Amino acid sequence: MRNISFGLKKFRKATFILAVLSFLTVTVSKAQDVVEGRTLFKSKCASCHALDHDGTGPALTPKVNELDEAFLIPWIKNNQALIASGNKQAIEAAKFSPSEMTAFPTLTDDQIKNIIAYAKVGEPKKAAEAGAPVADEGVSGLSIAGVIAIIVLAILVLVVLGRAVKMLERLILEKQGIDIVEEENVSLATGLKGLFKNKKFVFFTVLCLVVVLGSFGWMGMWNTGVHTGYQPTQPIKFSHELHAGINQIDCQYCHSGAFKSKNASIPSLNVCMNCHKNVQARTEDGLISPEIQKIYSALGYNPDTQTYDKTKEKPVEWVRVHNLPDLAYFNHSQHVVVGEDAIRKQAGLNPNDPVCFACHGPVNTMEEVYQYSPLTMKWCINCHKEADISSKKGDAFYANVIAAHEKIKKGEKITPALLGGLECGKCHY
Amino acid sequence: MESNKKYWKGLEELNKTPEFVDNNKSEFAVPLPIEDVLSEAGLSTVTPRRDFLKALGFGLGAVTLAACQKAPVHKSIPYLVRPEEVTPGIPNFYVSSFKGNSVMVKTVVGRPIKIEANPNAGAFNRGTDAQAQASVLDLYDVSKLKTPLLKKEETTWADLDKFVKGELNKVQASGKQIRVVASSLNSPSAKAVVAEFAAKYPTTKLVQYDPVSYTGIIKANENSFGKAVLPKYNFEKADLIVSFAADFLGTWISGEEFTAQYTSNRDYKSLEKKKMSRHFQFEAGMSLTGTNADTRIALKLSEEGPALIALYNAITGASLSGAGLPDNTNADKAIKLVAKELLQNKGKAVVVAGSNDVSVQTLVNAINVAIGSYGTTIDLDNPCKRYEGNDAEFALLVDEMNKGEVGAVFFLNANPAYDAINAKAFTDGLAKVALKVSFSDREDETADLSDVVAITPNYLEAWGDANTYEGYYTIVQPTINPVFNSRQAEQSLLTWADAPVQDYYQYVRNYWEKNVLPATGKTWEDVLQTGVIATAPRTAGSYGFTLALDAVAAAIVVSSKALKKDIELQIFESIPMRDGKQANNAFLQELPCPVTKVTWDNYVALNPRQAEKLGYKEFDVVNIKSESGYSVDLPVLFQPGQAMGTASVALGYGRTKTGKAGNNVGKNAFPFVTYANGTLKYATTATLTGTGRWEELAQTQTHYSFEGRNIVREASFKDFLKDPAAGSGNHHKHKVYDLWTTDKHEMLGNNWVMAIDLNACTGCGSCIVACNVENNIPVVGKDEVRRRREMHWLRIDRYYSFNDEQQGAVTEEKEIAHLDNLENVSVVHQPMLCQHCDHAPCETVCPVLATVHSSDGLNHMAYNRCVGTRYCANNCPYKVRRFNWFNYWNDSRFDNYLNNEFTQLVLNPDVSTRSRGVMEKCSMCIQRIQAGKLTAKLEKRALQDGDIKMACQQACSANAIIFGDKNDPNSEVSKALRSERTYYVLEEINVEPGIGYMTKIRNIDSTTKEVHA
Repeated sequence: MRNISFGLKKFRKATFILAVLSFLTVTVSKAQDVVEGRTLFKSKCASCHALDHDGTGPALTPKVNELDEAFLIPWIKNNQALIASGNKQAIEAAKFSPSEMTAFPTLTDDQIKNIIAYAKVGEPKKAAEAGAPVADEGVSGLSIAGVIAIIVLAILVLVVLGRAVKMLERLILEKQGIDIVEEENVSLATGLKGLFKNKKFVFFTVLCLVVVLGSFGWMGMWNTGVHTGYQPTQPIKFSHELHAGINQIDCQYCHSGAFKSKNASIPSLNVCMNCHKNVQARTEDGLISPEIQKIYSALGYNPDTQTYDKTKEKPVEWVRVHNLPDLAYFNHSQHVVVGEDAIRKQAGLNPNDPVCFACHGPVNTMEEVYQYSPLTMKWCINCHKEADISSKKGDAFYANVIAAHEKIKKGEKITPALLGGLECGKCHY
Repeated sequence: MESNKKYWKGLEELNKTPEFVDNNKSEFAVPLPIEDVLSEAGLSTVTPRRDFLKALGFGLGAVTLAACQKAPVHKSIPYLVRPEEVTPGIPNFYVSSFKGNSVMVKTVVGRPIKIEANPNAGAFNRGTDAQAQASVLDLYDVSKLKTPLLKKEETTWADLDKFVKGELNKVQASGKQIRVVASSLNSPSAKAVVAEFAAKYPTTKLVQYDPVSYTGIIKANENSFGKAVLPKYNFEKADLIVSFAADFLGTWISGEEFTAQYTSNRDYKSLEKKKMSRHFQFEAGMSLTGTNADTRIALKLSEEGPALIALYNAITGASLSGAGLPDNTNADKAIKLVAKELLQNKGKAVVVAGSNDVSVQTLVNAINVAIGSYGTTIDLDNPCKRYEGNDAEFALLVDEMNKGEVGAVFFLNANPAYDAINAKAFTDGLAKVALKVSFSDREDETADLSDVVAITPNYLEAWGDANTYEGYYTIVQPTINPVFNSRQAEQSLLTWADAPVQDYYQYVRNYWEKNVLPATGKTWEDVLQTGVIATAPRTAGSYGFTLALDAVAAAIVVSSKALKKDIELQIFESIPMRDGKQANNAFLQELPCPVTKVTWDNYVALNPRQAEKLGYKEFDVVNIKSESGYSVDLPVLFQPGQAMGTASVALGYGRTKTGKAGNNVGKNAFPFVTYANGTLKYATTATLTGTGRWEELAQTQTHYSFEGRNIVREASFKDFLKDPAAGSGNHHKHKVYDLWTTDKHEMLGNNWVMAIDLNACTGCGSCIVACNVENNIPVVGKDEVRRRREMHWLRIDRYYSFNDEQQGAVTEEKEIAHLDNLENVSVVHQPMLCQHCDHAPCETVCPVLATVHSSDGLNHMAYNRCVGTRYCANNCPYKVRRFNWFNYWNDSRFDNYLNNEFTQLVLNPDVSTRSRGVMEKCSMCIQRIQAGKLTAKLEKRALQDGDIKMACQQACSANAIIFGDKNDPNSEVSKALRSERTYYVLEEINVEPGIGYMTKIRNIDSTTKEVHA
């Protein structure tokens, strides 16, 4: 039930985002793909350009509004060639900064149009905010709304039926020639009084209340301590969307422990510095991006002198997103390496997606990471019951047990559960 | 031939005292106060109902509020710059050494959490002792100082250096003496440092002394052979071992190493080859070694000398005067038998004595020469360097200090204010010294009297080395940065000496590269990997004995006569506490003494018959007074096997300034030790007087009873040779009926089982501490132990039995009454832990299925499922389940252990800490099994036998615990379990335990029975 409602909700959100985006696209930019434009912008342009302010390069929104595509497309593809050709506009544009703009000969015209479309529209703010999966209230809103709708519908049906019965009664009485005493002038107060004296109505109301409160309680209790969607505010606004999604950095590059240890491990800042020593995402004032500055401050790093000051070190206190209770032992390498095939199959992942997505969700689209899976024991157990680990048949480790197992000989699906993966002590010790 | 020998855990079980019978009825010592609650007063008062409503209201409100919490905020703080070798979640291992024994230190994200034996150490230490296992807790001791002290004020190292250097220059100018006082300094680099310091300040002299001294042996060897050394003993080469009060399996010189040597001739592998050594022990108090002896003869302290003279005479045919044991016919007969057998085993026998008397040791040397021990079982050419202390030098130091000749004194791993025999003379002398510097990690008894406390790091934070045998070197390398503002003593000395190299790491490295490594062709990096350097030993030569023994015998007779008093007092080192240096270690305080099972205290051990004669009941507090006038009050402990007319008191207790856990636990016995003829004497005399008080000792021994069932099975070696299954009960199997014929547990992959060799287990208890550290087992303290609430998952049961005067075995209670004294007892040690029964009685009674069976033969315990009904503990026939009565790490009543964040750093992150109200028990180190399996899975290979080792198994020097997969017919455990000696405890109730025990074999025959006849 919860899975379904969760799925529905995802679907609803996705549709909503899509709808908003397509609306914007259609109205503002004549069928250009703003979403693709945004992706391209982030990967190709964002290190020098911002939409609304000058950086290494000028602010883009005013520029795209000011200049036309006929100039912009060749300029973006190869601005040096354009300047060399003596294009006046180009020579003017080059004066913005002494440094040359990178050429992008691989971009197609359509792609550039998409970028321009995105630059015109700007960040689809409302859509992003509404679409970002905000912390889940725990209780599934849809199912509650459904219950209420059913109740309202039932009341309506009852009212209509009551009217119909009255009407019919009146018709019968009219036919029989009995005068009808009109009750039109009964006041509202007496009507309500009558309603409260109506045992059926009172019973029905109470029943409705019990059902509504009961289902609220039931849902609430099921979800106590389940923090699906939990999205704490992190000390650094680190975007997985940018790093894992757009820049396609492998999960393992930062979370190197996941493939060999029980902890996936949060990367230490020296890993960040591998790139961010150079990538500083400076603003138009030449200031280093405040988020990157946080890395430098934590390390006591001075980007101007490129020196570290150990006395100014101050570790970054991240907030854990995925909190497994201490009583449960979870080992990343067991799942990420040993069980990879089975988990991929079970979660139906794309071959190109990292196996991590099975539990952590589409991290490459998360601006800020939230808890994707419920991390309940039921959720663990389900996978242990259903995942097919028959790909392990050839593995020397499993050879003995698989050879000895009667049920496997009979052709039963090999799951972790069959090999003892549901036993308490396998995770709780 | 099933034995029906009668075993008993303690005297109260033997005598069936009313208290014991009463206690035995209930599972838990202290009943729940249900009666009080249900009594009328409880119900008629108004408050309970109102309180109930209040509690109910509060509870409801609290739960509602708690449920409102969105999500817990847990901080997760990564390294700023992660060290390359650290991966969170994967432990790192570093070699180091503890007291010269090479160890491997397991660290997780930079903090050491477990000590394991270093396989590279080879024969020098196969396992680790309890002290090494517990030493990791010392690192996280909150009682340590955080900064150095100067005149009791916190100071900086710069100020401290300035002060010390200034004072040293003054002392230098005055021409007064400088002394560095250390307990045996077996670090070659440290010795070089002291030499360098002495070069700068020429009046410096190193004074080495040991609280438990071996000066007697060293001097005797000097007199006999011109070599002032401790020899290397090779017990593995001895078919016959005769020990006079030397606790060589426990505290004597190098217990772990000797245990490995000793058991290699007695364990199941040796028995399969039909080979077993024979061991006679003559002693007054029951020692760990005595409990393992094939034949143990109670011998008064005053009889030891005459017995040795008699033995010498019998072997050589000499006629030294003073021989003869007129009052001890048993010993007299035994000496004759031993003499005969020693002559039969020439070159394959060894005689050792625990005495620190030069004359006694000289006589022992003469005996060993006569039986050809030198060159085989005793090796003087590769001497042991563990102990080099010289009692006379320390006595001289006290004299010099009192005369005002000493201007500066430095204490290096030494605490004479506690362990000097005459603490007053020492402290008086100390007051006359201008500069007193203590290198200590805490403000201990001596540091308290010093001007400067130059705090030193724990060995896990330090560089260093050790040289315990000629040609055998071990390295000490740090596994964590110094936690506090400490500095190694050696570095301090180098600084004050203005040495060219002041960094001690560099110093050690230079020393090794110059003196140790060139001969071996190894590099410094090699040493950091392997931890040990062992050069080929020299050939052990045989030695002749030329001294005239008349004077020696005369001296022995004089000192023996002096001991002949009503109560002869033996001062000994107890297995858990040793010399008291680790007294603040809660693991060691709670480790039951292997013999007496007493925790958190010392006591006066008396033979029960002796105590009856004196009119004392057990735990009566008596005043024990030495001839010098020192007296303490200690409870009496009834010790079967104790020689009549003797009392034993353990050293190492009664610390006053060691920390929260160890302060004022027990009484200090060092002042009982006497000094004569240049050595310390641990045998003396005392008088006992009753105080009328009574204080219960916290013993673990009688906490559970087996109701006289046939738990321990043993056979004599002679019977074993005729029939390997002798005594195991394996010939008479009862037909078993099975309730679960259709619903059997299938162990398809692995079936984890264990085999325990009762003949190898010496009972030393290092496995208990290893288990505690590995599994985050809380320490509960003295009071809780008294209530039978100790949490140890693994205990070692100690059973006594009598040797019958006529038939060889006492089988019935009624026969016991006829025995006139309780001197002749034998002991069996039996490690007892969760048996992981395939038909586990605990599983069937759990109402919430918190304990269930796994498909690999383990009995799982899900703590968070447990609601604490304790039915399982009630139904466990082995009594191995432990109930958590408190939150031991968050309760001010348990301040001696985990109740602070610093000490909690010792916890193993792979094992959950249990909460109050939850049952727990041995998990068969399931975290290690899972880790071993995962490693194999990641490497895509099958599990190998030996991939997974239990914590207890790893610590065991005797190789008494074998763990592995029963489904693998070639695993070591499968082989061991197929031994005819293997039996299962309580197999008759058909719970199908997963742990097999191998019978205890005693190398006794009819001739030894005669000894007792």
